[in-house]
Amino acid sequence: MIPFFPPDLFESDRQALVDIVYSVGTGREQRFILGHYTEQLEGALSKWLGGTQVVACSSGTAGLGLILRAIGIGAGDEVIVPAFGCAPLASAVVNVGARPVFADVDPRTLVLDPDEVEALITPRTRALMPAHVFSVMADMPKMREIAELHRLRLVEDSAVAQGAALDGHPAGRWGDAGVFSFVQVKTFGTAGEGGAVVTDDPDLASRIRMLRNHGQDPDHRFVHHEVGYNSRFDEVLAAFQLHRLPGLENRLERRAKIAEYYRARFCPLEDRGIIAPPPGRNGRFYYVYSLIAQQREGLKRHLGRCGVASHVYYPMPLPYQPAFETLHSSGQTWPNAEHASRCTLAIPVYPHLSDGQVERIADAVCSFRQGRR
Amino acid sequence: MPPTGATTYVREGKPAPRNGLVPDPAQSTVIPFFSQAATFDRLWPLIHSYLDEMMDRGKYSHGNQVAAFEAELGAWTGARYVVGVNSGTDALVLLLRSCGLTPGAEVVVPAFSFIASASSVVLAGGRPVFADVDPGTYAIDAQAASAAVTSQTQVIMPVHLFSQMADMQALGELASARQLILVEDSAEAVGMRWHGTHAGVLGAGGVLSFFPSKILGAIGDAGAILTNDREIARTAGALRHHGRFGKTLDNFPLISNPTKLPGFNSKMDDIQAAVLRAKLSCLDKDIARRQELARAYSERLDMMPEVIRTPGTEHRGPSEMVFYVYLIEVERRDRLASYLAHRGIGTEVYYPTPLHLQPCFAYLGYRKGEFPCAETACARSLALPLYPDLSLGDVERVCDAIRDFFRGSRR
Repeated sequence: MIPFFPPDLFESDRQALVDIVYSVGTGREQRFILGHYTEQLEGALSKWLGGTQVVACSSGTAGLGLILRAIGIGAGDEVIVPAFGCAPLASAVVNVGARPVFADVDPRTLVLDPDEVEALITPRTRALMPAHVFSVMADMPKMREIAELHRLRLVEDSAVAQGAALDGHPAGRWGDAGVFSFVQVKTFGTAGEGGAVVTDDPDLASRIRMLRNHGQDPDHRFVHHEVGYNSRFDEVLAAFQLHRLPGLENRLERRAKIAEYYRARFCPLEDRGIIAPPPGRNGRFYYVYSLIAQQREGLKRHLGRCGVASHVYYPMPLPYQPAFETLHSSGQTWPNAEHASRCTLAIPVYPHLSDGQVERIADAVCSFRQGRR
Repeated sequence: MPPTGATTYVREGKPAPRNGLVPDPAQSTVIPFFSQAATFDRLWPLIHSYLDEMMDRGKYSHGNQVAAFEAELGAWTGARYVVGVNSGTDALVLLLRSCGLTPGAEVVVPAFSFIASASSVVLAGGRPVFADVDPGTYAIDAQAASAAVTSQTQVIMPVHLFSQMADMQALGELASARQLILVEDSAEAVGMRWHGTHAGVLGAGGVLSFFPSKILGAIGDAGAILTNDREIARTAGALRHHGRFGKTLDNFPLISNPTKLPGFNSKMDDIQAAVLRAKLSCLDKDIARRQELARAYSERLDMMPEVIRTPGTEHRGPSEMVFYVYLIEVERRDRLASYLAHRGIGTEVYYPTPLHLQPCFAYLGYRKGEFPCAETACARSLALPLYPDLSLGDVERVCDAIRDFFRGSRR
């Protein structure tokens, strides 16, 4: 079976990881959290993104919460988020006391539909939070336009989109601030939990630095200006990320190459009810390669029989999740999000797949025959 | 009261100047406020084997090491449920949420503690109400706590600081008399027991912090919730993983489970769990070693009239002393800290500012002078180096330096 969540992600880095743990554990400095490695990682990522502020934090989810707090979102505010996506899009808003307002997505790209967003703006709307989904960046130029027109803050959930750029402008740098997630399965995943906030606004960055460490004064320990979080970054993981960063471009390129191959193989399947994600490099990143299949469950079973594991990321739109179902009026519907929840199926796209495995996966998808509907 | 900035290792940016003094280069050896390097090195074969287990499994957070650590810690503490999370602070927030704290409800906490004892209340949607502490235990005074209870109070959350527990007998009685939920901020209280019951499971639940300098310390942030209540454990277990119930621990596919609660990502890293499992294997010995070092401190410092207070080392009442921190009280604390830094000895001030005077709680409207015991403790307390890597000779050196400081100042 070709796994969907490969257990051997860091196989070639095993010794490096062990060495890092030992050297941090026995290091003369005995510094374990927000130390020099974290600072170096922030600097390296900043450079990689063309020069911006990077604040490492405990996860992408935590990063969204830090941004919302730092831009002053709170009780009584509304934040427009996609109806199709990961739970933190809504829970991060709820956890700062505000209300997520769910907008439907584009049926093909699965990212926020700008027209739906505009229709939901009310006097209480304070921010837009589009998310990049699977392999496609949200329509950030349009989101920026809407945000500017209505004087809203723009938070970019770029958790999954490390290395992506749209029209030459990197993911994470389109709004007031964006996030990256470093949980292991991500394109720049690490050996644990972590994330980062990205922003071009130095004041916002300072506030987020303070909020991630208990609202503590940067120079005076135990003086707390704001009620903050413990959302810090561990040195062990920062050192491991620094070790892994030089190989990132190659791994991203390998993902894109696999996606290109898939695209060529899957193009003819459209008549047979399987739609491949949009091709190309501009605004794409290939974290997850998700098909839209009319007979998703059948395809999933078929792939399993062919020895290929697949995964359904969001089987239920966010507004229907029990945690959020009381937050909207019952009349509102999200037909595209519902369709996506019924039909999307992700297949393996990680960089250490061999060419043979990639072919086997493509063969398996292509050999699926739809049943009669 | 400005903090001394003596020895810190969690700080952003450049280290703050040590009150203008740099360690005297003539001092050949430095006694840091904290180190676990020797312990870590000694435990390395075991840590390495746990790291191998983690890497063979290929799940680096919320994985097999976290699952094993939860089980082993449950056995060691006697807590029925252990929920491993990202930090002690997160553990408090998740615990308060899991206890059903309603938005705006009041939680009575001590005015003397680490910030998280009160910020967690705000992050969980509640309102902290402060009460003064007992100068003998540094924990919340039961009578003061009782006086702070109003019709809006839902929870009372004592904190066990440094080396001994709050008066859980009196606080338990208060909680049942006023129908309050009793939650313990037992972040520092690994190994502390009340009539044999481990801190954290005397009320609805408690927490542990595995911040590196803690008695059971990781090499990064980590924490846990302890409880004997199945529902609290279930809810906290879901809240740490985006509000998803079911067996998410050590199990990838369940990331697609429905989100039933607006949760967090507070999963524990398996690297940290691997280190903690190894340290748990020698925790009893480490605690005994800390006791031995504390006794050596007290033998010497109890002779010095300028040291207003040492924690003592004797069994006093139902709670055995377990030394996370060896805390003394002196006048001119900041001068002593600077002097010790000059002699190459790291110290720490726990805590320089009482919670009711923190800028972030100004909105609660407290004034200076309201909690005199907390304010006095903040002005006088100084934590000395205390960890199993320390030698008895180191303790002697620290005590000699303190003696020299007072001799010099007497002249």
